[in-house]
Parts: sequence; C-alpha cells; structure tokens
Amino acid sequence: MNPGHKMVVYAVKRPWKMTAAMAAMALVLGLAAALPTISPQAFSFLHPVNVDTDPENMLPADQPERVFHDEMNKEMAIHDMVVVGIVNEKHPDGVFNPESLGRVFELTQFAKTLTWPSEENPGEKVGVIEVDLIAPSTVDNMEQAGPGTVRFEWLMQAPPKTAEEARAIRDKAKRIPFLNGTLVSEDGKALCIYLPLTSKKLSHRVYQKLNEKIAGFGGDDQFHITGLPVAEDTFGVEMFKQMAVSAPVAMLIIFILMMVFFRKLMLVISPMIVAVVSAICTMGLLVATGNTVHIMSSMIPIFIMPIAVLDAVHILSEFFDRFQETRDREKTIVTVMDILFMPMLYTSLTTAVGFGSLALTPIPPVQVFGIFVAFGVMVAWVWTILFIPAYVMLLPARSLDNFGLAQTGENEEHASYLGRMLPKLGIATVRHARAIMLGVAILTTIAIYGITKIQINDNPTRWFNAKHPIRVADKVLNSHFGGTYMGYLALEAGGGQDVDVALFARGVLERISKRRAEIGDDVDSAGKAFSALSAKAVELAPKAKSATGLLDELKAFGQTQYDEAPDAELDAWDEALLFIDAERDRGEVFKQPEVLAYMNRLQEALLETKVVGKSNSLADIVKTVYRELLTGEEKDYRIPETAAGVAQCLITYQNSHRPQDLWHFVTPDYRKANLWIQLKSGDNRDMSRVERAVAKFFAENPPPAVLNHHWFGLTHINVIWQEKMVSGMMQSFLGSFLCVFLMMTLLYRSALWGFLCMVPLTVTIGLIYGVIGLIGKDYDMPVAVLSSLSLGLAVDYSIHFLSRTRELYPRYGSMSAAIGTIFGEPARAITRNIIVIGVGFLPLVLAPLVPYKTVGVLIAAILFAAGFGTLIILPAAMALVEKLMFPKTEVCCFVCKCNTCILTAASAVALVAVNVQSFIAIGWTTLTWISIAATVILAAICYYASHREKCLIARDGTIEEKKDENSG
Amino acid sequence: MKTLDRLAMPVRVFIVFSTLAGGFVRAADEQLSVDEIVNRTNRTAYYQGRDGSAKVLMTITDSQGRTRTREFAILRRDDPAPDGKDDDSHCGNQKFYVYFSRPADVNKMVFMVHKNVDREDERYLYLPALDLVKRIAATEKRTSFVGSDFLYEDVSGRNINDDTHELVETSQNYYVLKNTPKDPASVEFSHFKMWIHKTSFIPVKGEYYDKNGDKYREYSAEKVETVDGFTTVTKARMSDLKAKSATVIEYSNVKYNVNVPDDVFTERFLRKPPREFLR
Repeated sequence: MNPGHKMVVYAVKRPWKMTAAMAAMALVLGLAAALPTISPQAFSFLHPVNVDTDPENMLPADQPERVFHDEMNKEMAIHDMVVVGIVNEKHPDGVFNPESLGRVFELTQFAKTLTWPSEENPGEKVGVIEVDLIAPSTVDNMEQAGPGTVRFEWLMQAPPKTAEEARAIRDKAKRIPFLNGTLVSEDGKALCIYLPLTSKKLSHRVYQKLNEKIAGFGGDDQFHITGLPVAEDTFGVEMFKQMAVSAPVAMLIIFILMMVFFRKLMLVISPMIVAVVSAICTMGLLVATGNTVHIMSSMIPIFIMPIAVLDAVHILSEFFDRFQETRDREKTIVTVMDILFMPMLYTSLTTAVGFGSLALTPIPPVQVFGIFVAFGVMVAWVWTILFIPAYVMLLPARSLDNFGLAQTGENEEHASYLGRMLPKLGIATVRHARAIMLGVAILTTIAIYGITKIQINDNPTRWFNAKHPIRVADKVLNSHFGGTYMGYLALEAGGGQDVDVALFARGVLERISKRRAEIGDDVDSAGKAFSALSAKAVELAPKAKSATGLLDELKAFGQTQYDEAPDAELDAWDEALLFIDAERDRGEVFKQPEVLAYMNRLQEALLETKVVGKSNSLADIVKTVYRELLTGEEKDYRIPETAAGVAQCLITYQNSHRPQDLWHFVTPDYRKANLWIQLKSGDNRDMSRVERAVAKFFAENPPPAVLNHHWFGLTHINVIWQEKMVSGMMQSFLGSFLCVFLMMTLLYRSALWGFLCMVPLTVTIGLIYGVIGLIGKDYDMPVAVLSSLSLGLAVDYSIHFLSRTRELYPRYGSMSAAIGTIFGEPARAITRNIIVIGVGFLPLVLAPLVPYKTVGVLIAAILFAAGFGTLIILPAAMALVEKLMFPKTEVCCFVCKCNTCILTAASAVALVAVNVQSFIAIGWTTLTWISIAATVILAAICYYASHREKCLIARDGTIEEKKDENSG
Repeated sequence: MKTLDRLAMPVRVFIVFSTLAGGFVRAADEQLSVDEIVNRTNRTAYYQGRDGSAKVLMTITDSQGRTRTREFAILRRDDPAPDGKDDDSHCGNQKFYVYFSRPADVNKMVFMVHKNVDREDERYLYLPALDLVKRIAATEKRTSFVGSDFLYEDVSGRNINDDTHELVETSQNYYVLKNTPKDPASVEFSHFKMWIHKTSFIPVKGEYYDKNGDKYREYSAEKVETVDGFTTVTKARMSDLKAKSATVIEYSNVKYNVNVPDDVFTERFLRKPPREFLR
C-alpha cells in the first residue's frame, strides 16, 4: 500500500471539500496578484504586476560588472537613447533637402517638449534630456570663417531655405568626425537623431508621441524609431500578447486532444481545471512575492498547463481501460490511483527537479522561472491526486455509462491507429535490439560532433521577428550608419600620485631645475625663486605623507613668498606657483598627447575587427578642434604636441553651446576616459570578438601610462550574462542529471535501472543539441534554458515505461513475451502524453517574439524525440541486458547492492558539490578533493553495509553460497 | 539690458543698503520709464568707472557635484563719450581683456572682446601652447564662456536693443523687467526676467525661460561690496537647471579707473600681457 492510498480515499469521500479547497487556493493567490494591480492604492501592502523587460536584469543587481556599468553610466552621463533614423530614398540628396530638414527640425523641437513632471520627485522633470539631445539643430559646428578666424555655430540653427543650404549642412556635419556616421550617414543620405531619456521607462510614451507627430508629416521620408529602450518597451507589450494568445491557444489545443483521446467532455474538463488552477496559483504567487514578469516568467503558464494535465492523462487512460470492468467508479479510481501514485509522484518530482535545477544558473530571471514552474508542477500534482478522484465522484453516475474501453469495444480499440501500431513497434524493438542500439551509438557520435560545433550567441534585437519595425529599423540604420549598437570602453589611469613620496620628490626636484633652465633670463629673479623652491622641497620631502601633501605645502610656501615678494620678484614667484600647479595636474593622464595617440591606435585596431563601424574618443575631439584652429585642412587633423596644447584645444571646444559634451568622453579630472564604440551588430559573438581584439591590443601594445580598461554598456552586459548562462547551464544540466539519476536509482533500487532510465532522454537531448550545432542555429538564451529543464520532463516517459514494465514482467517472465502488453495501455498512455505535451507547446510558435518560437519548436522537438526515443531505445536496451535487470533473486534492501550503493553515493556527492559550488564561493579544486574523499568514505561504508550477513542471506539465500563466493 | 552679467564689474548700491542703512532713501515715488530703468541698469552692470580690473575665481560644479576652477584677471576699458563728458553716463563701445592663469595648462591664454553697440563684436583668442591667435566669428554669442554656465553674452553684456522690455511688476524693492528678444530664432530663450534693485539698479536676480515657457536658467548676485565708491557685485551664480550645473564667480582685487591704455586691447598685447594691470 503506497502513501497515496489514504490521500485518495480521503479525497474520494469528501469531493466537495477538495473542490472548495482547490478553488480557495486559486482565489487567494489569484486575488493577491489581481487586486493590487487593479487598485494599487487600496492594496498597497501587496505587490502589483510588475513587468520587467530590461536585459540588464539578466544579471543580479549586485553583479560587479553591472555595478561598474551603472557607475560609469552615471560618471560619463550616458543615458539610454531613443534613436530616430530618417531616410529618404527618393530625393537625390537623401534627407538633405529643405523639406526633409524642415521636418527634422520640427521633430527635434517637438522632442524637446517631451518632458513631464516626475512622480517621484515633484519639481523635477522627466523625459527627453534636452541638453544631451543630438540633432542637427542641437549640435555645434566648428569651422574656418576666413583667414585666422574660427566660427562656432549651431549646425542647423533654422531649417534651410534652399537646396544649397541643405547640402551645406550635410557637408559640415560630415567634416566633424563625431557627427559623421553618427548624426549623418557616411553616404550623406540619412540622418539619425538621438533622444536620451531620464529613464527608459518613459520610452513607450516618447515613442508614441513621436509616432503621432510623424504621422502628421507628408513627404517621402521614412522615419525609423529604434534604440534599446524602445525595443525593451515593445517587448513588454509583445510579451503580454504572447500570454494572452499562446496560453489560451495551448489550452484549447490540449482540450481538443483530450477530447479526441477520451471523448468525454465531463471528464476531460477536470484536468483542464487542474491546469488552469496550477497556472493561476503559480502566477499569483509569482506576483504576490514581488517577482517581476520577465521574458522568462511570462512563459510560466504555457509551461505549466501541458505539464499539469500529464498525470491526469495517465489517470484517465487507466480509468478509461478499467472502468467497465467493475462499473464502480470509487473502486476503479482508487485502484487506478494505487497503480499510478508512485510513477506520478516521481514524474512530477523529476519534472520539478529539472526546472528547479535552473536555480543553479546565475541569471535571476531564469532562476525565478525554474523555481516557479517547479512549484506549479507540484501544485498540479497535488490537485491531480486530490481533485481528479473527487471530480470523478461528483459526476452524475449515468454520465459515465458509456465511458471506457468495454463500451467502445476491444475491436474498436484495436482498430484505432495507436492500438494497432504500438504493439507492432514494441515487438520490432525487441527483435531488432542490436540494430537499434547500434543506431543509437551512431546517432550519439553525430550528436557529440554536432555539440562541439555549437555556436554560442544571442542578440536581444533579434528577439523580434524579421518583419518587426524594430528589426527593419535595425537593418536600415546599420546599413547607413557606423552602427547603432553602442559599446563603451572605460580607460582608467592607474597609479596616480599616491606613489612613493621620496621618488616623487626626486622627480619634482629634477623638474624644478629643468623648468628653471627653460625660463633662463626671461623672468627676473627666476633663479632665486626656483632655488628657494628647490630648497623648500628638499626640506619638506622627508616629512610629507603623500605627493599631494608635499605639493600643498609647497604651494602654501610659494603663495607666502609671492605675497611678500618685492615687485621685481613677483613674476618669478608667479612662475614658481605656476610650476607647482602644473605638478598637481600631472595626474591628468588624458591630456597627454601620447596617451591620446595611443587611444587613436586602439580605435584603428578596433576598425580592423570589421564589426566596429566607428568609434568616438576624446582624441577625435582634440584633433577636430586643432584642425579648425589651424587651417581646417586634413593635414592638421592631429593631436597637439604638448599637454597644454591639448588642454587649450579642449577649453576652446568648451566655448560651444554644449560644453558638457566633453564629459561623455573624459572625467573632469582627466583620469578616466570613455571610448564610444559603434557596432554594426548586436550579436554577443561580435561583441566578444571586439573585446578579444582590445585585450590583444593592450597585451601587444603597452600603453604610455598605466591604463586599466573595462567594458560597460549593454552590449557588454549581454556578453557577461551569456557567459554566465553557458557555464551556469552546464552546472544546471549536471545538477538536474545527477538529481534525476539519484531519484531513479532510489525509485528502482538499482543503479542499472536508474542508468537505463537516463539513456533515451540523454541521447535524444544530445541529438537535438547536436542538430542545433550542425545547422548553425545560435545557442542563445532559450536554447540554453531548455537543456536542463527538458531532462526532468523527458524522463517521465522512461519512468512510466519502466514502472509498468517492472510491474508486468513477472507475469510474462521475458521481455519478448511481455512486450505486447507493455505496448498496450502503458504505451498508449505514454504516446498520448507525448502528443499532449509536444503539441501543447506548439502554440508558442504563434507568439510574435522569436525566443518564444524557439522554445516552442525546440521543446516540442525534444519531447517528441525523447518520447519516441524512450519507446524504441528502452525496450531494445532492456532486451539486451534482460538478465541483469531481472535477476532471479530479488534483493530486499537497497544498501545490499554494493555497486548501486557506491554509484548512488558518488552521484549524491557530485550533486552536493555542484550545488555548493553554485551558492558558496569555493574553488573547484578544493571541492574536487573534498568530493573524492567523501566518495571514498561513502564507498567503504557501502562495501561493509552490503556485505552484512543480512544482505548476503537476502542475496544468495544461504550462508554457504556466500562463503563459496567469498572464497572464490 | 543685459543680462546680469558678472564678469563685468561694478554695480552700485543694493539691497544690503536698505537693510544696513535702515532704508535707503529713494527718490520718493519717482516714476521711471521702462527705458530709463533699462538704461540705468545697463550702466550699473557694465559701465561703472572709465575702466576697471579684477581677479576672478570661477568654480563650475556639474550635476554630479564635480568641480573645476578657472582663474583669470579681467581688464575693461570704455570708449570715452563722444562729447568728452566724463560722468559715466555714456554706455558705448567697450573692450575686455581676459587673461587666464589657471588651470596651469591654460596659463597665459587670453580672450579679448571689442564690444560694439552698433555692429558685431570682435573677439580674439590667444592660445599660448599652440602659439596661435584666432579671431572668433561673432555670429554666435550665446555659447559657453570657457565651459562655464555663463555665456559670452553674459560676460560682455547683451545689447539692450536686441530685446523689447516691459515692466511687469514693481515691488517694494525691485523693478521686474520682462525682456523678449526681437529675433526669437537667434536665441534659445523665449524671454527672461530681471529683478532690479530700485535704488541701486543692480540686477540681483535673473530667470530665463525656454520656448516651452519653462524656467531653465537662473542668475543671482550673492555678494555686493562697495569698491572705490562703486557698489560692486563680488560674487554671483549662474545655474543651468537643465544640465543641473552651476557656476560661481568671485571677484577680488577689484579696482576702478586704473587708466588702462587703449593699446593694451590690441592683438599685439595678446602675446605680451600687460602684467602691471593683471596682478
């Protein structure tokens, strides 16, 4: 008698209570999510539905890379931007004609008005950040205006009136490296305006307003609105579409399939109720616990629903077959539940484990998804056990009259396609066992080869399908411009003035005498002042605590001398003070010409990757200003020879309308610089290539000053979470494999059975991933996630198959005799499951977003393949090792099987190790040694335990035989 | 009327006086025309004395609280009145010479302006590290002054003929003027308001409004002293509410009527600063 018997009997006796309990649970959790969403004020103590489409959240908020990313965004005042690309394919000058530029001007003016009072900080405005807006009418042009004269002006103060004026704007913009390829396309036909936002949450509002405005424009211009915030926002909308469309369609399809299988509306409704309740409870709990609805968690309902009906399919199948034998529904349902309780428990547990293993992935949305689906699966299991029997009892007795096998007739059942085909298949598998296993070996080889070809890559923009406006914009704009994907490379000066004081003081003394020599006789009394300064430095140096401290004291000394100096010495002391201040500024690394030149060389190296279309840096700004200060000709597009020359170019640059632009490229202390890198592709693979190129450049070209480099920007964040995902998935897959294997070994009290259980799904999952590698489909987020969770789902087939085989085998005594029966009802139930769950995920293909489609196709493929793989591989494998699987003497006790015990211990240790490594900072090396030690100890215990007399008796029947064995 | 400019110097009497002196006696109920208010304010803000000099410390604080400083000396000389009268009433052309000393790497950099009332100003820049003198085309005056929140036009003074002026409020201590540009496309503001102290004609506060009608820029005089008999703003602040940055300038060593020769304000002196006037 299994533990479920009492539960089932209890439920069958109190059907209304069960129903009420289930309804109450769904209601409570459902309302906990719905009420605060509908009325946030009244239910402020509850969490409303919170949608999260921010790819940054693929990493935990305290992930070091993300913390750095946030810090640098703040420090360099980098904001998320909505990008509006304007293209005109009809006009010979592209958009550089008076009409188009007039519209661009109008749109820019309009964009400036897109601000709203902040809800959080009254008095603050949120929306488009006008001062950082990049558009022809908001950026500066700097150019020659006749001999010896330089002009600063708005690039487009007012819309041009003539074609010449319009072209002049294009030509001016193209001369400015920062604008060429960013504001104006390299082919001179298209324009991009960039609207930075105070918060990306406002992008939808801005996007809508822009679209309204654009709708009122005539002309041949095409406006493409893109940019990450827009993509994210659109994503949120599409996500709800997915939930609103795919989930109900999945429900409907499952319902139709169940009707086809069981042809009894009243009965088929019960698993549908369980599915909906499980989905509501899970989503309710998700929201109520304050988790966000993310691309991953939005798929929870569509995962739970097909899984939730699986157990019910088995119950109804069995009930269908047995009901007419007794026509007593209570007796029938209790019998059915007795048979199915353990397999259902284990299939649900393994499924939950498969999803739960996603908690080992260091990506929070994936963890949440895994944990909550696991929860939903167990909810579904509980209500399947309690509610389905109760429901059967609640049905009016006569509604079951014509239900079941006897009524429909053996003949008809045999006539059904499944009924005819499955036994034939079963017999064939046993007959051709060797050939099948050979095939499996070949396929496994191909799979391994394919897996080595797997290409890891993702690109959030490609989460939209190819016709989506965002993808179209992406394509059009990247063909015209230097690239719309931004990567940022922070360069930070190392060292600083916290150097050894004595060393620094020696340098100061050297520089004092050098400066003294430079001044010569130009300044009266310079010798006297500099000698005094030198003497003071020698005196102060031994006592100074830091370089800065030394300079502070020297400055104070110099100032006193200046204040007291006679007129004749004023200029000399002025020079001395200037020298001290210049010493203080020596840490301004990014004013050094050789550092800027180094940055330029790095930028050139980046272009060689072919992925980078363009990059912008402080060096480009300096060169542009210098060129215009000199002749405006290309030969003067270079870096000044001295740091002071650089500084004076920069202060000139700041005499513009937008002095703050400089601080997007360097910090005011000139110790951190930021390289803007425009990539033509948002593929993580391409970004990784750029990152490798930069690492190589730094390794091969030592910088002229100590420079640390770190990436930030979303393209880099994407690379980071992808790397985490790949390693995390390995861990997750390993964790789920070990856990399922352990459970199977325990369930069947045999490592061999446990191992056999894992074979079909491991082979098929391996094969599917091999195919992914072979056809070149990117291994992206959905593909990665599916590997470990599908393990827990696919093993269900094996469990049902092996459980039923083990139950039936003794009756027949051999595989070939039993196979016909095994491929009767048990195989039919498994096949129904394969169809329900495989087809149940297919509605995801209807979703507008690519990751959902990938999930739908892939999981359906895995589950179909694993299902049929199970039906083919398992009987073949069992036929080959029949003697080992069904020994003549049954062992009573688990620990008595030495090998099983040791294997179990080893996998348990490995499982613990995988989990520990994931959550505690401990090195793999240490962990490996600890694990080996633990395994050896456990193995020894296993050995002694399995050689106890009790075991030997149980195994061999007599002590004498045991003695023989020992002596042999 | 110009903005409340700051780099210029003098300004006369002030609120301080009303408090200190227990109420400055105002020409009782004198009714001034808008033009008179504008003219007297312009004179107070830019034209006190025949000439002047001062040292300036400029501190720019950005939205992240990071500060940068610039130190420079400023010389000013007014063209004498055509009628030879030396009563400070003529508000004509002027010349400014701005000599930078810090940061150290811009030491000796010079910015020079010949401000003309009836035609475009002439502006020159000397960059010693590049050994370069450049004229700056004067088409655009509303650009930043060396990266600060003050604009060139704040330094030299906006031409009072570029705006129409309206007296929108007269309070106990202030005239509030609303100034609207005659050519709205040439500037980034829609209008600006000035609070002018009634007896001293010092602009103590200014507010600039963008084309949406939102205030985006703010000026305030923070400290006033009397120097050589002239009431002088010695500390002033300009805030950019959009960029969330602010610049404070502090004047020291303010002198009036120092007799700067006219030829100091020529290209020749850009490379050869008149040190005696710059200390």
